[in-house]
Amino acid sequence: MIDTIIFSDIIHGLFVLILGTAALIITQRSLSSLFNIYAVQSFILAVMAIVLFIENGTLNLLFIALLTLAVKTIFIPLFLHRVLKRMPVKRDLQFSFLSPASSIIISTILLFVVYLFFTNIAGEVFNDSLILLGGVIGISLILMGMMVIFSRKRVITKTIGYLTMENGVLLFSLFMAEMPFIIEFLIVIDLLMILVLSAVLAFGIDSSLEEFHKKLNRLGIWVED
Amino acid sequence: MIDMTILAYCIPGLLLVLTLILSSRNRFMGNDAVLNTFSIIHAFYLLGLTIFIMFTADLPVYFMDGRYFAIDRLSLYEILIAAIVFCLSAIYARGYIRDLLNTGEIARNNTGLFYGAFNMLFTVIVLSFLANNVALYWIFLELTTLFSALLIVILKARENITASLKYVFIASSAMLFSFVGIIILYALNLDLVNGGVLNWDTLLEIAPSLPGTAFGVAFILLFIGFGAKSGLVPFHTWLPIAHSRAPSVVSALLSGVLLNIGIYGIMRLNAVATQTTVGDNLKVFLIVAGILSILVPAFCLAVRTDTKKFIAFSSIEHMGLLVLGIGLSSPAVLFWVLFHKLGHSLSKVLLFFSAGIFHRQYESNKYFQIKNAFKLQPLASWGLILGSLSVLGVPLFPIFLSKLNILIGLADFSVAGLVIVLLLLFIIASSFGYYLVRAFSNREEEAELKAYNTPKSMKWPIAFIFVILLGLGLYMPGGLADWLNGIVSDLGFLG
Repeated sequence: MIDTIIFSDIIHGLFVLILGTAALIITQRSLSSLFNIYAVQSFILAVMAIVLFIENGTLNLLFIALLTLAVKTIFIPLFLHRVLKRMPVKRDLQFSFLSPASSIIISTILLFVVYLFFTNIAGEVFNDSLILLGGVIGISLILMGMMVIFSRKRVITKTIGYLTMENGVLLFSLFMAEMPFIIEFLIVIDLLMILVLSAVLAFGIDSSLEEFHKKLNRLGIWVED
Repeated sequence: MIDMTILAYCIPGLLLVLTLILSSRNRFMGNDAVLNTFSIIHAFYLLGLTIFIMFTADLPVYFMDGRYFAIDRLSLYEILIAAIVFCLSAIYARGYIRDLLNTGEIARNNTGLFYGAFNMLFTVIVLSFLANNVALYWIFLELTTLFSALLIVILKARENITASLKYVFIASSAMLFSFVGIIILYALNLDLVNGGVLNWDTLLEIAPSLPGTAFGVAFILLFIGFGAKSGLVPFHTWLPIAHSRAPSVVSALLSGVLLNIGIYGIMRLNAVATQTTVGDNLKVFLIVAGILSILVPAFCLAVRTDTKKFIAFSSIEHMGLLVLGIGLSSPAVLFWVLFHKLGHSLSKVLLFFSAGIFHRQYESNKYFQIKNAFKLQPLASWGLILGSLSVLGVPLFPIFLSKLNILIGLADFSVAGLVIVLLLLFIIASSFGYYLVRAFSNREEEAELKAYNTPKSMKWPIAFIFVILLGLGLYMPGGLADWLNGIVSDLGFLG
């Protein structure tokens, strides 16, 4: 058991760090640093789960932390780095709809809107201020991830956006109600499968190798309008 | 016997995937005839198993201590529809996929991937209907996205990859919102039930004591994901492109089975919602969402030039009609919503199968490429025309009855709503007429197209659907009516 004040201070600090990583994911152009930031973000989530475990003593939280550590901070970034090594692109420079600065401004606005929504409309459920904050930041992280998905051009960056959304869901579930571990586990498996599929497909779309495109377009009769 | 049921449902699919992985170097397993025969046997086996359970089991049956899986009337009915569609698709795929392999549109070494994903998709769909736990249902729903995305991308064109990715990203992101909804739902009943539950049956029992506003939030979040999976506006943008890019047999599966799963979730959820304090508000929400999903295709259909995209937009409209019917949530309307699902699935399979034959004949999905259709492909032409009539709800087709009764239900709720929907349906019917007339009035005798020799395996499913559709339109078997009434009362709507 840690002192309650220190506990809430640690959690608040981790919240700030998570928001910082989210902001970096929105603006970062280099793909390999994007993967690293994602790894850091997942690591912070794992630390948060451990802190909550020390406070609550629910064994479930420890398992979640270990799973996050193994899969999201080690396996997924390594996999993405390996995919990147074989791809001819290293950076994602294009932003559609939103520039990095306006993305940051919009995500700040989103954070406030979510906060207002939670305090006013759904206030009856979230009575603890820490749970409320966890919920708000979780949802904001989901929305920021969604913003990455539609404001970035490269599929591999969109994948990072999706992974960030999933981190948001994890954060939300850490504070609201931990799901049974088996369900958390199945979700991670599902996440991995989607990641592998989209990474393989992204390889086809993102790579600007001329040969690859020629190979694709030879099947011309399916390619209309 | 019953404890083995879940295993019996998923063994063939898993077995095939395992064999494919282990024997990836074996030539024999890359043989499309072998894989197709397996798929046909698999589909008929599951159809037989489902019918057997329908007649013998004492429903509902729960599995495991946590009641993670369950079989009840609704899930069996949905599995039955899925199994019929898969049987037809597996037969159709025999000729169709062989042809795609011969022309090199699917690479030979991807045959195993195609049939593996095909059979796994079936398994996962069945499991999603059997799952009694919302979170488990969510996971299987996610897996259906995965396997269907694989099936879309099997044609290695750049457009297919884009379509597939669009589908994966839209559906999965929306499903994450659903998961937030699941977490809220779980948090809500942590105090009500010891340990918290997410089982459909328990949720139905404790529904009256769930806090209203928070449940409403959870409902809308869940609706986002389920709605995206069934292509409801505004999450429909993946649907037309995915349906038109996929091989026709896959489009038929997407439209005939996959869209139904999301609607199934919404239906179960609505059964819970009607018993909460916010039931009436959510009812209006669903009705508005339904009308919106009829509105968008109504204004998109007339300008379409691609047959499969055209059919796909009509699927959005029908999903809208189903959600509208679910929102009305009166026992009579729900009965016809269920019947509509069957009619819609069969009609869409018919349309996509016919469109597939047209694509083989003219090597294009565009209407202006269709020439001398009745002379070259009489069966597919009639398939397209009768399928369109069926989808529009012309008398003698089953959709006529269901559409009429859903609209009568809407009239009880709001006359203004009925007028709007009738107007939209009129626009949709006109667009269908416009499209078909343009497609079938092309006569260029000098074009001298050689008739595509349609394999028998592609013709039989179409002929078979003709028979069932007309049969269902003329006569509804008493057993089916009892079964559907049973589902409605299972969901807590007393008729």
